[in-house]
Amino acid sequence: MADIEIEIDGNLVNAKAGEILIAVTDREGISVPRFCYHKKLSIAANCRMCLVDVEGAPKPQPACSTPIADGMKIHTQNEKAKASQKAVMEFLLINHPLDCPICDQGGECELQDVAMDYGSDVSRFTEGKRIVADSDIGALIQTDMTRCIHCTRCVRFGAEVAGIMEMGATGRGEDLKIEPFLEEGIQSELSGNMIDVCPVGALTSKPFRYELRSWQMNAVSNVARHDLVGSNIITQTYKGKVKRIVAKDNESINETWISDRDRFSYEGLSHENRLLAPQIKVEGTWKEVEWNVALDFATRGLANNVFNTHQTDKLGALASNTATLEEFHLLQKILRSVGSENIDHRLNVKDLDNAISLESSIKLAGLEGVDHALVIGSNLRLEQPMISHRLRKANLSGASIDVINAMAFDFNYRLNSENIISPNQTAAMLAGVLKSVLQNAQVEIPDYLVDIKVNDVATQLAEKLSQSDNSVIVLGEHIVNNPQAASIANLVSEIAQHTNSTTLNVSATANSMAANMTGFVPGKGGLDVNAMLAADLKAYILLDIYPQYDFHHSLQAVEALSNEDTFVISLNSFKDDAVAQYSDVLLPIASFYETSGSHVNVEGEVQSFAAAVNAPSDTKPAWKVLKVLADLLELPGFHYADSTQVTSEVMHQSHKQHVHGESIDVKVKRGVNVIWQKSPYAVDVLSRHATSLQATNIGQINSASMNKATAKKLEVAQDDEYLGVPVAINEAVANNCVFVNANHSTGVQS
Amino acid sequence: MISNKAKKQIDAWVAKYPEGHQSSAVMEALKIVQAENDNRLTSDTIQAVADYLAMPGIAAAEVATFYENYNHKPVGKHTIRFCHNISCMLNGSDELITHLENKLGVKTGEVTPDGLINVKKVECLGACVGAPMFQIGDQYYENLTADKIDEIVDGLK
Amino acid sequence: MNEVCFKNLDQKDPWSLKTYEASGGYSVWRKILKGELTPEQIIDELKTSGLRGRGGAGFPTGLKWSFMPRNANMQKYVVCNSDEGEPGTCKDRDILRFNPHSVIEGMAIGGFVMNATKGYNYIRGEFMEPFYRFEDALKEAYDAGLLGENIDGSSVSFDLYTHLGAGAYICGEETALLESLEGKKGQPRFKPPFPANIGLFGMPTTINNTESFASVPDILAKGGQWFADIGVANSGGCKLFSVTGHVNKPENFEVPMGLPFKDLLEMAGGIREGRTLKAVIPGGSSTPVLTAEVAMGMTMDYDGIEKAGSMLGAGSVIIMDDSTCMVEALTRLAHFYYDESCGQCTPCREGTGWLYRVLKRIMDGNGKADDIDLLMSVQDKIMGNTICALGDAAAMPVESFLRNFREEFEYYIEHGKSMVKG
Ligand SMILES: Cc1cc2nc3c(=O)[nH]c(=O)nc-3n(C[C@H](O)[C@H](O)[C@H](O)COP(=O)(O)O)c2cc1C
Ligand code: SF4
Ligand code: SF4
Ligand code: FES
Ligand code: FES
Repeated sequence: MADIEIEIDGNLVNAKAGEILIAVTDREGISVPRFCYHKKLSIAANCRMCLVDVEGAPKPQPACSTPIADGMKIHTQNEKAKASQKAVMEFLLINHPLDCPICDQGGECELQDVAMDYGSDVSRFTEGKRIVADSDIGALIQTDMTRCIHCTRCVRFGAEVAGIMEMGATGRGEDLKIEPFLEEGIQSELSGNMIDVCPVGALTSKPFRYELRSWQMNAVSNVARHDLVGSNIITQTYKGKVKRIVAKDNESINETWISDRDRFSYEGLSHENRLLAPQIKVEGTWKEVEWNVALDFATRGLANNVFNTHQTDKLGALASNTATLEEFHLLQKILRSVGSENIDHRLNVKDLDNAISLESSIKLAGLEGVDHALVIGSNLRLEQPMISHRLRKANLSGASIDVINAMAFDFNYRLNSENIISPNQTAAMLAGVLKSVLQNAQVEIPDYLVDIKVNDVATQLAEKLSQSDNSVIVLGEHIVNNPQAASIANLVSEIAQHTNSTTLNVSATANSMAANMTGFVPGKGGLDVNAMLAADLKAYILLDIYPQYDFHHSLQAVEALSNEDTFVISLNSFKDDAVAQYSDVLLPIASFYETSGSHVNVEGEVQSFAAAVNAPSDTKPAWKVLKVLADLLELPGFHYADSTQVTSEVMHQSHKQHVHGESIDVKVKRGVNVIWQKSPYAVDVLSRHATSLQATNIGQINSASMNKATAKKLEVAQDDEYLGVPVAINEAVANNCVFVNANHSTGVQS
Repeated sequence: MISNKAKKQIDAWVAKYPEGHQSSAVMEALKIVQAENDNRLTSDTIQAVADYLAMPGIAAAEVATFYENYNHKPVGKHTIRFCHNISCMLNGSDELITHLENKLGVKTGEVTPDGLINVKKVECLGACVGAPMFQIGDQYYENLTADKIDEIVDGLK
Repeated sequence: MNEVCFKNLDQKDPWSLKTYEASGGYSVWRKILKGELTPEQIIDELKTSGLRGRGGAGFPTGLKWSFMPRNANMQKYVVCNSDEGEPGTCKDRDILRFNPHSVIEGMAIGGFVMNATKGYNYIRGEFMEPFYRFEDALKEAYDAGLLGENIDGSSVSFDLYTHLGAGAYICGEETALLESLEGKKGQPRFKPPFPANIGLFGMPTTINNTESFASVPDILAKGGQWFADIGVANSGGCKLFSVTGHVNKPENFEVPMGLPFKDLLEMAGGIREGRTLKAVIPGGSSTPVLTAEVAMGMTMDYDGIEKAGSMLGAGSVIIMDDSTCMVEALTRLAHFYYDESCGQCTPCREGTGWLYRVLKRIMDGNGKADDIDLLMSVQDKIMGNTICALGDAAAMPVESFLRNFREEFEYYIEHGKSMVKG
C-alpha cells in the first residue's frame, strides 16, 4: 500500500492508502467514539457512533468503515461530526435502561463513558422504554438484554472467532434481539470473550454478578497456567480475593482473547476444599499444627528415613505439571543437593522408556501463517484453545488442515481430511507418510521403512506436506500413551526435516515446559516416576499432586505411597482423601494467582508474574516452603530474597535437553488401546473446583467412548462403566480404541 | 420432520445457486417446511431446515424471524393478508378490515374458532392500482368492496 | 403511451414468447449471439438513451454497466430487482405479468455486456402470479435455445434463475437484496465496497430494476436517440407511473418523461366527484409530499419533480384529495418504516419507532405542544446518519408533511382530533 497524507482535524497525518480511518485515528491517538468497531472483528458499521465529517462527502462518514484516500480532509470534532455523534448517542440512550448504579458494567461501560462526553442530559423520549426478556445462556454469562445496544460484537465474535455461530440477531427493526437459538446455553470454549467484547452491561460474568464495581478492585497482570499458551490476563482482586479475570492484550501470545478455562477457573480458589493449615499425622490421626512444627516434623521424617540411613537414593520428588518454574527448580535442586536424581513430573505417562521427545519449532503467532497443518492425536480446540484459534485463522486464510485422530472431534474449521485410525496404526500410518515424503524428496529409504506399504491416505498426507511451503505438524496429548509414542515423535521429526514443516508438541500441557527447562526429570542413575513407585522408596516430597487424577498408574501409586515405611511430605493447595491416606505431613500451599512465579509456554517464552493476592490463611507459596525446607536441611545455595532470584538462576543455567532414542518401531500393534485424558475442565486442581465451569457442557464431559464393535469385545454396553467412567457408544471412535474423557477422580486407570 | 417431497422441492431450489451456497435456498426451504407443518415454524422445524442446508441453527432462525412471511404462532388454514398501507388506506382499507373482522367475529391476529381463517394487516403488496386489496395464499384480490369480501370469504373452505 | 414495457399490453397473451417475438423481441439478443453487437456499442447506446435507473435512485444505466470489471477473471452476476415494495409502487408486477420476456432479454443483454454468465431475478415473495409467469417465460426462453451455455453455438452463455423474497421491504435495497439472495436476513451492507466490486457471493455484480432491464431491448432495437427523444433533457424515454389513491381510474401508465402532472391526473380519470386535490406524493412513499398547487405546475421528469421539491423515485404517484387527514396518512407511513426497518443501525432502529410512537400518541389525542419540534428534530437526526437510504426515506415524509401541512398537526395536537375528519 502506498504512503499517503491525509488531514485530520487540521493536522497532517501519514498513512497507507486504503487503511480504515479509525485505525489511523487510533494510531494517532485521536479519539473517535465507537461501539460496534472491534479491531479483531469484521466491520459492521451499524452503531453509527463513529460518524465524522469528510470534506466533499454530503453525509457524515463512519470512521470504522471509510477507507482513506490521499488528500482526504477529515473533521472528527466539527459541528457536523458532533451533531451526528450526539444524535446517535441520543438514539442509543432512549431505550437504554440507565440503571448504571446497579449494572455490573458500571465504571467500565463504553456507553457510559461516551455518554458523558456526548449525551444530552434530559431525554426527550417519553414513549416508554423497551424491555427485552432475557434468556439463560448458561453458567458463565449473565444476560441483561434490555441493555443491549445491538452492536453485534458478540454475534461476530461467535461466527468469526469462536467459530460456532451461537448468538444471532433475530427479528428486525426495533425487535431486533441478540440471543442464542437453542436453550442449551453457549457451548464455545471461548465464550467468555463475549463478555469482554460487549461494550455495555448486556453480557457480564455470571460468577461475578453483583459482587463489585470495577473501580473497587485492584488489577494485577498475570499469566494463566492451564495450558501451553500462558495467556495474559488481568486478575481483578478485592480484599485479598480474586474476583474476576479478564483478558489482557498480548498480540504474540493470546492476541486479545482467553479461554473460558483461563477466565473462570479462579472460582476454585475459594472452594471449601482448600487445604488451609499445616497438618501432621501422629499415630494415624491428623493434627493441625504450626508451620514450624510441621516443617520440623518433615525434616525429621526425611532424616529418619533417608539421611540418617544414608539412603538418599531412596528419596523421590514428584510434581504436578502446574507448578511454577521456580517451584520445579527449587524442588529438583533440593533433591540433587542431597544426592538424589529421582525427579519427575510426567506422572501420566505409562511407559517412560517410550516417552515423547519433540522440540516445538514454531511460534504461536507463526501458526497463523502456515499454509498447511497436520494435527496428530489431539482434540486441539478443547485442549489448547488459543492454539486452535490460531490454526483456525490460518485455515480461514486458506491453510488446509489434515487430522489423524482416534476419534472424530468437533473442529470449528474445515478440515482437508480427518483420518480416524486406531492408535495401534498411527505409527505405521506416519511411517507411510514419511516413506512417501522421502520418495517425493528423492531421498534414500532407510531400512526400517523398506517393508512399509504406503496407502492412499499416507500418500495424500505426504503430498500435502511435500507441496507446502510452510507447514506445521502438531503432536497431541493422545499420543502420550500410544504403544509407539517415541517412534511417532521420531517419525514426526523425520517428516518435518524432509519437508518445509515446523513441529509443535502439545503432548504435555500446563507448565510442563518449565519442568523440562529446570530439568525436572530423572538425571543419571535416577528413577522415573514409574520406577520410583515400584522401587520401595523411603521418602517423597510431592508437589500439588492428586493421585487419582494425575498418575497413569493411579492405583499402584496410591498403594506405593501408602507403604508404612514411606515418609511422604505433601505440598498441596487442596484437600484430597488419597493424599491424606498416604501422606505424613501436609503443607498447605498457595494456588494460582496467590504466588509469584513463571510459566514457560510452548514456544519457550518465560513469562513471570507476581502474586495477585496473598496466600490465604496459613497457606504459603510453595517456592517459599521449599526454600525454608532446604534451609532446615542446611543445604547451601538457597538464599533467595524473592522468587525472581530463583527465576534468574534458572535463566542463567544451561537448559537440559532430552535425548531421544533412535529406534523406530513402525509395526501395527494389536489389541484394544485406551486413550485416557482428563476432560477439558478437569485438567488441574483449580479448574476442577471451579463450580461454574463444571456446570457447563464441556465441564460435564465424562465418558469412555467406543464404537459398538469395541464395546462388544470389551463386553460393555451404553452407560455401563468402563475404568470407572460411563460408556458412551459412539461410532466416531476408531475401532479397537476407547477414548476416555474423565472429569472426576477415579482409581482404576490401568 | 421434512418430508421427502419437501426435500425434493428444496433440492430444486438449492440447484439454482453455486456449489457451497446451498443456504441461499433457506428462505424457500422454510416456506416449504412451514407449508407442511400447519403453516408455522417451530424451533424444531427451523433446526431441521438448518441441518438440511448445513447452516447454523441460529442463522436459519435469523432468517425465519426477519421475514414477514413466516409464522411462529398458530394461524388459520387461510391467512387473509390485508394491505393497510397508504393507497389502500386512501381507498377505505381500514373500514373493510373492520367489516371483515366483524364478519369473522375475530380481530386481526386471532384465528377463527374453527381454525379456518385469520386476518393479518400487512404493508403494501405492490398492487396499489387495485386498492383496496388483500392476498390469500398465492392469490391477490383487488378492488375489494364489502360484498366482494363476503363472497370471497364465504368461498373459503 | 405504452411504447416500451407495455407495448404489447393490448395483444393476446402479451406475456408469450410468440407475442414478444412478433413485436421484435429477442432481435437484439440474436444479434449479440451472431456477434453483431459489442458491449461498447451497447453501453454507448444506453448512454445516448438517457435511461436512468427505474428503481428509485435514477442512476444512469449505461454508466453503471460500464463500471463492471468485465474482464476480471471471475464469476460475475447480473441481478434484477423485482422486490417492488415501496408503498404506491406496482409497475414491476405488471411488467413481470405482461412482458416477462423483456426482462429476460434485458438481463441477458446486461450479462453479455458485463461478461456475467449468471443472473438472478429477485421477485418479492408475495408476487406468486408474476413469479409463475416469469418462470413460464424462462422455460419458453430455454426451450427456444435463447439461454444456457454457449447459446446457439456462440461463445455467449447466460443462465437465469428466479429467487423469491419472503416479506421484507428492505430487500429492495440492493445490498440487502444481495444478502437475502445469499440466504441471510436482508440487512443492507455498508458501502464501499460497492456491488460492482464485491457483490453477490463476493463477486462483481450489477443490480437493476425490472423496468430498467425491460427498457433495454427496445432501446437497442430502435436506438438510444429514439428513446432519448421520447423524453426530455436529463430524463430520456418514457416511464411507468403508478397513479393511485383518490383518483377515478387508478392505473399504471407508460408515458413520455416530461408529461405535465395535470395530464397524468386526467389520464387517471381525475379526482373523484365533488373532491379537490389536496396533496401528491410523486415518487412513492419515500419521496416528499407536495401540495396540490405545486403539483399541478409540475412536469413528470427527474428535474421537473425535483424543481417542485420532491423526487421521481419509482414513479409512484399517490393522489390525496381534501378528505385526507394528513396526520393519519403520515402516521401510516411512519408505521411502515418502523415496521420495515431492518434494525441494524442505531438511528433508524431507534428513530423510526420514536417517530411512529409520537405520531400515534398525537392520533390517540395525547399530543403535546412541542411534539412537532420533536418530530422535526428526530427526523433530522436520522437523516444522513444511517447505513442505507431507508433511514432517509423514513425521515423525508415526516419533514415534508410537517412543513406543508403543519396546521393539521397543530390542530390535532391542540384538539385531540383530526381537522379533516373530526
Ligand atoms: C429502502 C429501499 C428500498 C428499495 N426498494 C427497491 C425496489 O423495491 N425495487 C427497486 O428496483 N429498487 C429499490 N431500491 C433501489 C435499489 O437500492 C437500487 O438502487 C436499484 O435497484 C438499482 O436499480 P436501477 O439503477 O435500475 O434503479 C430501494 C432502495 C431503498 C433504499
Ligand atoms: S449483547 Fe453486547 S456485544 Fe452483543 S450486541 Fe448487545 S451490546 Fe453488542
Ligand atoms: S437505515 Fe434502517 S433499514 Fe437501512 S440499514 Fe439502517 S436500520 Fe437497516
Ligand atoms: S464504530 Fe463505526 S459505526 Fe459503529
Ligand atoms: S398500498 Fe396496498 S397494495 Fe400498495
